[in-house]
Amino acid sequence: MPLARFLLSSLKNRSEESLHIYKRFVASERYYACCTRFGASKRFYSSSGRSTRNNTPSLQLPEQSVPPSPWRSFIIPGSVIAGIGGLVFFIHYNDEKRAIPKGQGAKFERSAIQGPIIGGPFSLINTEGQLVTEHNLLGNWILIYFGYTSSPDVGPAEVQKMAKSVEILESKQNLKILPIFVTIDPQRDTPAQLRAYLREFDSRIVGLTGSVTAVRQMAQEYRVFFKKVDEEGDDYLVDSSHNMYLINPNMEVVRCFGVEYSAEELTEAIIKEMKKTET
Amino acid sequence: MALEAYASQSSDSIHTDVLSQARLACYKARDAFYACLEKESNKKPTESAYVGLLYPAECKKTREAYVNQCRPTWVKHFDRQYCAKKRVQRLLDDNESRRGV
Repeated sequence: MPLARFLLSSLKNRSEESLHIYKRFVASERYYACCTRFGASKRFYSSSGRSTRNNTPSLQLPEQSVPPSPWRSFIIPGSVIAGIGGLVFFIHYNDEKRAIPKGQGAKFERSAIQGPIIGGPFSLINTEGQLVTEHNLLGNWILIYFGYTSSPDVGPAEVQKMAKSVEILESKQNLKILPIFVTIDPQRDTPAQLRAYLREFDSRIVGLTGSVTAVRQMAQEYRVFFKKVDEEGDDYLVDSSHNMYLINPNMEVVRCFGVEYSAEELTEAIIKEMKKTET
Repeated sequence: MALEAYASQSSDSIHTDVLSQARLACYKARDAFYACLEKESNKKPTESAYVGLLYPAECKKTREAYVNQCRPTWVKHFDRQYCAKKRVQRLLDDNESRRGV
């Protein structure tokens, strides 16, 4: 208990000290005015005067009253703390704005989605040159892959996997799913290029391309990473997150598959998802 | 509106060197080159390819065929992959020889 009192009084003394040092640069009249403003008593004035003379932290009497204008010494630390608080609040608000909400979305009824809500409206051009938006694709199960035709090895492997998976689904399980290939390299992948490329894999695969901004917007909505690397004159590779997205008939992203899935595993997972919503 | 703007600026040329036939030829040339590398691994590597890969002069012919068949960025990509694979193999092999030290 006396220790606490000692700590408290030494704290008050230190703030008093800083206050005095600060006041030294200011006219001393103000200091006296503060004292009188707060109705300083004689003992009050004398005790402050004593510490000006000593200028060393000494043990004050326990019944020392509050030093003159205590709130002034709290302006600077207070404003610093308020500034930090404002910064923290701003960062938190920014994070919340950018966050992907999990699962709930606008509909609170039984939603099949457990993960983050991604996907959104897009408008791209297919290999025949027609405009395709998400409205055209409603009502189908969709498997989307974001790739480009000049991919050395991963791209063709993934498209092959997709084609095989669709093949197995149709022949064995009689389930229809629409595979879509969206190019993340629209400058080189024209509709004719896409048509020639995809024809070799499977005629069912729909190829989508468009202007650079349209493709970038869709990639942003589906949170697909892609970046041009290895520039060599006109040629370049595109580094991307090779993900396949499974989309249900309501145009909601249900699952995403990476490169590690083989065609059989992909088929199994798709069957599981489709059966889950049908029951 | 976007449709017409897009159609007007796109040409109809197709890059045939990424279609499946060209791709398969490229893979074959690449495999031939790497097989040559494996075969001549005891010879001293004198020539240098991309990204620091060295290969002996015996494999020069297969290297030419490889570089001609595939796009340069693809060659770089495959070379980098090969180097990484070799490094991992070396790491794993080394571990065994140093066991007990």
